[in-house]
Amino acid sequence: MTQEIDLREDIGEVLLTEEQIQGKVRELGARISDDYRGRRLTLVSVLKGSLPFMADLMRAIDIPVRIDLMEVSSYGGTATESSGLVRILKDLSASIADEDVLIVDDIIDTGLTLNYLIRYLRGKNPATLRICTLLDKPARRLVEIPVDYTGFIIPDRFVVGYGLDYGEFYRNLRVVGVLRPEVYTEVAPE
Amino acid sequence: MTPSFAHASEAEMARILDFYAVRWVYEPHTFPILWNLEGEVVESFSPDFWLPDLDCYLEMTTLRQKLVRKKNRKLRRLRELYPAVTVKLFYARDFRALMLKYGKLALVDALSGSSGQTTPPRGSTSTLPIDAPAVLDVAIPAVPAAASAARPRQRALPAAPAPEGTR
Repeated sequence: MTQEIDLREDIGEVLLTEEQIQGKVRELGARISDDYRGRRLTLVSVLKGSLPFMADLMRAIDIPVRIDLMEVSSYGGTATESSGLVRILKDLSASIADEDVLIVDDIIDTGLTLNYLIRYLRGKNPATLRICTLLDKPARRLVEIPVDYTGFIIPDRFVVGYGLDYGEFYRNLRVVGVLRPEVYTEVAPE
Repeated sequence: MTPSFAHASEAEMARILDFYAVRWVYEPHTFPILWNLEGEVVESFSPDFWLPDLDCYLEMTTLRQKLVRKKNRKLRRLRELYPAVTVKLFYARDFRALMLKYGKLALVDALSGSSGQTTPPRGSTSTLPIDAPAVLDVAIPAVPAAASAARPRQRALPAAPAPEGTR
């Protein structure tokens, strides 16, 4: 018999409940639908963290949308990635030239990854390129990025859940919560 | 060639900026912030990084609280004198959060505080030549000769990511 592990025990505080998240997703979906009505929209999700947000947001949008997925390597992702340049681990599967594109991200903190992605995607000549993020942590911003759709502005806390991870865990939580500091001071991630 | 950073946390930040293809220049400008009655500069401030594409400066502060207060005061003064100049102050807690995000929390103890100051003092070497940064459209009082003599050091990066399919 395996021992049942409850990841929720590692959450010191629930910052956003499932109801709050879903309400905001519906609101964003309605705004995006209104703004792009009569146009063809491509949603580009940034793996892995934005997967739940993308899945919910696309269903909250009532205009025709295409979806695509991208993944980029993270600094310090592995010991060997501590130097060199960010890499595109998964590129778009279709052209976005002359398309209206909306980047769907889970959280913007430093803005470094998104800044890179924006430059990369602009090189593919979309008609428009805008940003939608569920969470914005402006206190951590290094690169100022104009965000078109923001779900929640959150305080400077380390949050997990609803796609956000620590050591690749906690992504499947339905809430966004603050990780208890003991978790990351006692156990180093892989 | 990598410049001689004054603090190991600055070297780590340079690696992060490199990773995300954000161009940086290490300490290219010195801003006088205090003069004596004879008009001589008695205090100045040299932010650690200039990010030319973002037109902002980045100052790392992973030192002891007493020194942080001094740096805060200098930064306030700089903002009064040069309101058009954007400087982001990166505190020890910011650096810790960044390391946590990148799964490198173990590095924090090694890089924080005075123990992180293991490299030669700034200005001791000069590496790549650099065009004089021309982004500042504010009037800046004359830079002290000693400061202007130290050549800025630059790490050149491609301005844009590599073409599709090469990463």
